[in-house]
Amino acid sequence: MRNVFAVATLLVFLITGMVPGVGAQGATIKIGVPVPLSGGNAKMGTDIVQAATMAADEQNAKGGVLGRKLEIVSFDDACDAQQAVTAAHKLVDAGVAAVAGGYCSSAAIPASAVYHDAGVAFVADASSNPKLTDQGFENVFRVIGRDDQQGPYAAGFMTKDLHAKKVAIIHDNTLYAKGLATATQDALKKMMGVQVVFFDAITPGEKDFSATLTKVKSLNPDVTYFTGYYPEGGLVCKQFKDLGVSGKLMAGDANNDPTFIKECGAASTGVYITSTPLPQDQGTAKAFISRYTGRWKQDPGPYSALEYDSVGVVINAMQRAKSADRAAIIKALQATSAYSGATGKITFDKKGDRVQVLYITYIIKGDKFVPTGM
Amino acid sequence: MEIALQQIVNGLTIGAFYALIALGYTMVYGIIRLINFAHGDIYAVGAFVGFSTYGLLALLHVESPILTTLLALVVSMGLTGLLGTLVYRVAYRPLLHARLSILISAIGASLTLEYSLLLIYSPSFLVYPHLFGRAGPSFAGVSVSWLQILIFVSSIVLMAAIYFIVNRTKTGMAMRALAINQDAARLMGVNVSRVISFTFFLGSTLASFAGVLTGLYYSQISFLMGFLIGLKAFTAAVLGGIGNIPGAVVGGFMLGILESLAAGYYSSRWKDVVAFAVLILVLVVRPRGLLGERVVERM
Repeated sequence: MRNVFAVATLLVFLITGMVPGVGAQGATIKIGVPVPLSGGNAKMGTDIVQAATMAADEQNAKGGVLGRKLEIVSFDDACDAQQAVTAAHKLVDAGVAAVAGGYCSSAAIPASAVYHDAGVAFVADASSNPKLTDQGFENVFRVIGRDDQQGPYAAGFMTKDLHAKKVAIIHDNTLYAKGLATATQDALKKMMGVQVVFFDAITPGEKDFSATLTKVKSLNPDVTYFTGYYPEGGLVCKQFKDLGVSGKLMAGDANNDPTFIKECGAASTGVYITSTPLPQDQGTAKAFISRYTGRWKQDPGPYSALEYDSVGVVINAMQRAKSADRAAIIKALQATSAYSGATGKITFDKKGDRVQVLYITYIIKGDKFVPTGM
Repeated sequence: MEIALQQIVNGLTIGAFYALIALGYTMVYGIIRLINFAHGDIYAVGAFVGFSTYGLLALLHVESPILTTLLALVVSMGLTGLLGTLVYRVAYRPLLHARLSILISAIGASLTLEYSLLLIYSPSFLVYPHLFGRAGPSFAGVSVSWLQILIFVSSIVLMAAIYFIVNRTKTGMAMRALAINQDAARLMGVNVSRVISFTFFLGSTLASFAGVLTGLYYSQISFLMGFLIGLKAFTAAVLGGIGNIPGAVVGGFMLGILESLAAGYYSSRWKDVVAFAVLILVLVVRPRGLLGERVVERM
């Protein structure tokens, strides 16, 4: 694991360096991939760059696009608004034809304004905060679902399947987590006989959440829903069990990572995770997984398939537009319909959101995420 | 009542971490008036060295949790202590008389340590072995784990040891002499550089002790783990009166309990606001911190 980052960075450099030597006609077509490569979410960023690199390489093996080779250009956004804007400017200056990537919503949203001003298409693979596509930018698309789709789904699961009457919601004040928490709360408020007894945030980067969880314990919730990211999620899970809080623990899709289980240990058994299906639970992703594990000698991350498809729809748009012009790509992306990717069929609606997103609930059993219900 | 007690137990646990790290800040500040920004990262290095030691012992099939933990602590404290001294020798000693440059050098040391950990280990989170369960005595509905008791007791013992070293030994006397007047101490035959090195060593061993226990208690370590807690521990040192050893301990526990109570009775979103508002109040009333004394200005 420890060399993954180094290898990925090296590869990006190698590919960047190698391409002119390959001797394709004309210059390469650059696709920008902004992701966190430093900080707590760096692993997700590495997974995403690997998926993008694989998508580009596969297309290049087929002769590239419009007779030109594809090149992945990646900059670190560190999941930070300011650094994301800097990275976005760097990508635009590097002359990318389109951008496909991003991870944290709080980084993707400010960056999307830069892409909008530069007239570059931005296909988000993992940023699910509704605001991203609600800004009305015609150049922004996403292949992941929206938090205001996941929220009502989670609310439905906890009330129908887990028969919850009292729900505690914990977020971490980041755009994604707060958005999902609010969407869930709104959906629960509309239901009869369900009470949201706790709604508060923890601080990302800290390790001790026992004070917050002690308060949750005193309220005796039937279900506690954590909507933050997995680094804190694993800790919340462990401390939740250590303190003996009553009821079930549920967590949002950013906790869909093996590290969550490793951190929480045996206490993670029986924890529910709402998520879009992992690649291995999607029939359409089988071929993608075997190629990914063959190439990178590790399992794809939760967003790898989504990133693979993000690059895929961009390639598809260029082929339909018969052009690598920024404006032409945006136009073609808007018309994306029933593109069949590793995560299923992709069609964008007017806002740039994907229509028909599937959610699924996993339960953790014996160190694995096991699907329980759609 | 039960809840209040549980919150105080929570606060004491996190306070013990703050206090252990705050001691390093306070000792270094007391002696050379430097805010050692790299101290939080020394704590992170301690956790990683401990992690490697556990990994190595597992390869050698040493399985007793108590033995491995003792070895991990000893190895980590020793190596991290030496690293602390090295950081002083390389980054601080040449700049001792350039106050602004040394501050920048401290930030540089901090970033160097953070990103060395990233490159050597991993950009993602590493997980410590789950050695000690959550069993423990439970009284009056308050759950306390043995690990929490161990953290609390061992940190108190270590802090007492530091207090003893500083106040009852010859090296300690030299440290105190340095704090008052470096030149005078040198004239009295104190080996200034060696005493400062020793101070860095002591502070770093405490931080690495906290680092290994963090891994065991929270199970998660990452290369950036020292940043936020370093800031909090520095705050605790200021709250108690920077430069003052019992002050750092009092400040650490106080900050931990304040945060716990603020999160438990008000809102965890506001806990830092509440805790830091109290800090400002304390500093307005007692500008030198709770136990800080009037120090004769240098220059």
